[in-house]
Amino acid sequence: MLKQDLIEKNPIRHLKGESDAKESSRMGLVMARAGVGKTALLVQIALDSLLNDKQVVHVSVGQSLDKTKLWYDDMFKDIAGGCKLDNAAEIHDGIMRNRMIITFNESKFSLAKLEERLHDLVQQNVIKPSCMVVDGFDFIDADRAVLEGMRDLAKTMDMQIWFSAVSTDGVDIPASGVPAPCSGMEDLFNTIVLLKPVSQSECIDLNIIKGSASVSKCGKLLKLDTKTFMIREDCK
Amino acid sequence: MRDITKVRNIGISAHIDSGKTTLTERILFYTQRIHTIHEVRGKDGVGAKMDSMELERERGITICSAATYCDWKDHAVNIIDTPGHVDFTIEVERALRVLDGAVLILCSVGGVQSQSITVNRQMTRYRVPRVAFINKCDRTGANPERVIKQLRDKLALNAVPIQVPMGLEGEMQGLIDLVRMKAVYFDGENGDKLREEEIPAQYKEECDIKREEMLDAVSMFSDELMEAVLEGTPTEEMIMDAIRKGTLALEFTPVMMGTAYKNKGVQLLLDAVIDYLPCPTDVENFALDLDHEEAEVKVSNISSDPLLALAFKLEDGRYGQLTYVRTYQGTLKKGDSIVNVRTGKKAKVGRLVRMHSDDMEEIDEAGAGDIVALFGIDCASGDTFTSGSDYNFSMTSMHVPAPVISLSITPIDNKAQDNMSKALNRFTKEDPTFKTYVDAETLETIISGMGELHLDVYVERMKREYKAEVTVGAPQVAYRETITQRAEFNYTHKKQTGGSGQFGRVAGFLEPLEEGEYEFVDKIVGGSVPREYIPSCDKGFQKCMDKGALVGAHVTGVRCTITDGASHAVDSSDIAFQLAAQGGFKEAYMKAKPMIMEPIMKVAAEGPSEFQGSIMGSLNQRRGIIIGTNEEEAYTVIEAEVPLSEMFGYSTDLRSLTQGKAEFTMEFATYRQVPKSVAEELITKAQKKDKK
Repeated sequence: MLKQDLIEKNPIRHLKGESDAKESSRMGLVMARAGVGKTALLVQIALDSLLNDKQVVHVSVGQSLDKTKLWYDDMFKDIAGGCKLDNAAEIHDGIMRNRMIITFNESKFSLAKLEERLHDLVQQNVIKPSCMVVDGFDFIDADRAVLEGMRDLAKTMDMQIWFSAVSTDGVDIPASGVPAPCSGMEDLFNTIVLLKPVSQSECIDLNIIKGSASVSKCGKLLKLDTKTFMIREDCK
Repeated sequence: MRDITKVRNIGISAHIDSGKTTLTERILFYTQRIHTIHEVRGKDGVGAKMDSMELERERGITICSAATYCDWKDHAVNIIDTPGHVDFTIEVERALRVLDGAVLILCSVGGVQSQSITVNRQMTRYRVPRVAFINKCDRTGANPERVIKQLRDKLALNAVPIQVPMGLEGEMQGLIDLVRMKAVYFDGENGDKLREEEIPAQYKEECDIKREEMLDAVSMFSDELMEAVLEGTPTEEMIMDAIRKGTLALEFTPVMMGTAYKNKGVQLLLDAVIDYLPCPTDVENFALDLDHEEAEVKVSNISSDPLLALAFKLEDGRYGQLTYVRTYQGTLKKGDSIVNVRTGKKAKVGRLVRMHSDDMEEIDEAGAGDIVALFGIDCASGDTFTSGSDYNFSMTSMHVPAPVISLSITPIDNKAQDNMSKALNRFTKEDPTFKTYVDAETLETIISGMGELHLDVYVERMKREYKAEVTVGAPQVAYRETITQRAEFNYTHKKQTGGSGQFGRVAGFLEPLEEGEYEFVDKIVGGSVPREYIPSCDKGFQKCMDKGALVGAHVTGVRCTITDGASHAVDSSDIAFQLAAQGGFKEAYMKAKPMIMEPIMKVAAEGPSEFQGSIMGSLNQRRGIIIGTNEEEAYTVIEAEVPLSEMFGYSTDLRSLTQGKAEFTMEFATYRQVPKSVAEELITKAQKKDKK
């Protein structure tokens, strides 16, 4: 299979709503209980940009560089192996060049530092990201101002930012549909996705809680495979 | 069998010049391993390292080479050498596997230096609990408070002092133990008489505050203590128990202080080693199951289970090779036969000894967690011994990476020549990643290993330990060649000029092999190549694998299949088919689109955040791919994958870029294809060399 086919086959780009007006998808949020597949989905979102030869910054809070890199290597191997991608090694090389991982020790995350780092990277001409994924951001103790700052950052750097958040188990979903700890913050995000395992099935549901019309429409069709955490379309 | 809970296997880790030698001296003195104190010469610290080497020789013991033994308060303490260099090699891994706990020595003036950071990170990776000792409190400018802050900030340790010094610099009188709330003085000429008294009035207030802080931090690890603290009745045992718990969980680092040179605080440090560092059964160790792709299996620590022991150090003694082993599980008994997992060979345990203060004690058996020495066992260090061949576990990975860099060495005279071969023989036994051979073309001795520093260390050791002076050539990167597509061959080797002729024809194809270096497949049907000549073809192909046609590098990843051929009743011979196979290989090789692969190193450079940009720039320039950065307070660690050939001299560059504040470590990661432009350069270079 050629790279182009792979990009078109990957339904994740619908989720990112890039066909919508530019402003519409500045910040996205993936929520799920622990262990359902948030990181996997974030890595998929990043891989979609990477396959389009765009640059990505992956911010990981509390996870080591090696672990994060392994996510990419494994997911790429799965994708490349699954559809018999041509020149896989070469494409993987390109992906590595366009990806930058920044890790923070738990509790050491600071917006000021991240901003400084990103500006450094752009200035040094190392990378100019069009997408940033933030894994492990602590929403429980988060300050709204930090997220607002992130939103501004997304605007000034002209990129999408995707977050992951652990939804607290056993808490009822409030009327707005966004479970704790992110309830009350939904206005900051353009797209919010909730991952839910479907009982007695090989699938995980992608529940679009918030998003533009086209995003919501395609959301109904998307499912995650529980084994590979890959998005699959054939699952009914 | 001795009580395993009374054994401590510890390492002492220190930055150069923070007093490791002096401290080890004092420990040995107080535990009566040695009977007089000899000062490290050169009190200004100049050449202290060399002095320690001399000292070791004079004494006939090795303070920091293999393992030193001493007894303290009914406990046996094994002090195991932690490698002084930080280059990540098998040696570091092995040392960290053997120890259960460590003492981190820091200079009260110098504080946490870059090497401490690297060593600390490795210890965290291997989950080694540690206690910290702030040495040299008698030096001008001593500031333990600052060092503790650095321990927290730079090493991210939950470091809390459990002592308060009575005076610093020249006025240091003694220490106050915050657990027992007692002032301790070190009397006598050598500080060997401990005197305990009430805390002097001027320190009372400070101690109360510090004790409060310590109790706050420590009560996190024990509910019992927390309750007792609230009620105001914590006992010594409770506090010590909680400190131990926190230390073992790697969530707490007790900080002690003193000055080894002025004989203060060393005994208390020894007490802390016994009280707070783990015994062998307190820590989890993992073995690798060789039958299941080296999956990790927890070691049981039970003496009645099958044996698992690791040979971690060899020493040449008067009676032949002395092998230091650590048992992890099971019992090592005199007269038992044990199996070396690497070679599969059986050996009999002849003499089993435990090293004591001043002599060796012959013992009959050693239980799990113990460190003993074996005589007359032929093995390399890093080998695992088990009780039988059906018990297929290894303590270290059996996968030994191939060397990526090589150097030619030439001895300066005949004597050096002899010593050099002795040294090389020894080193190759000790370290499986270090290899040596004689180049067939240039007749030079080549040593190869995992990095520039790795080889430097051995050249240095040759000089120091074996008095073998050698001149060193320029380092060479070990390139490899491989093929990328299938290609056919059909080659006839014919020679009929006088004498008996040679005839052989082979046909078949080469194809890329995903895993492994080389494979030979025989698909001949109908006997077109006679049976007896099939191995000849195999041999012929293998000869070609040594030297690829592109740049003369070792060829890997090729499957050679023969499908057809022809022979002659008289003229066919072993050599004829070998040559035919070689011809066939050469014919197909270039058609199979060969490419050059180069070793890629995983580089981790760390330095103050303000230099982050320039470090990245320098790695980029060297064809590096930056994987990411890790932010730690004021430090940034940058990880990248960089071709080894671009890394020569990087340490100098990095230093000048960052005012000497950054440093890097690297280890071999993988082989990857060389970019086209570089490949062309290499090919022209190789062609030029051939013409010469």
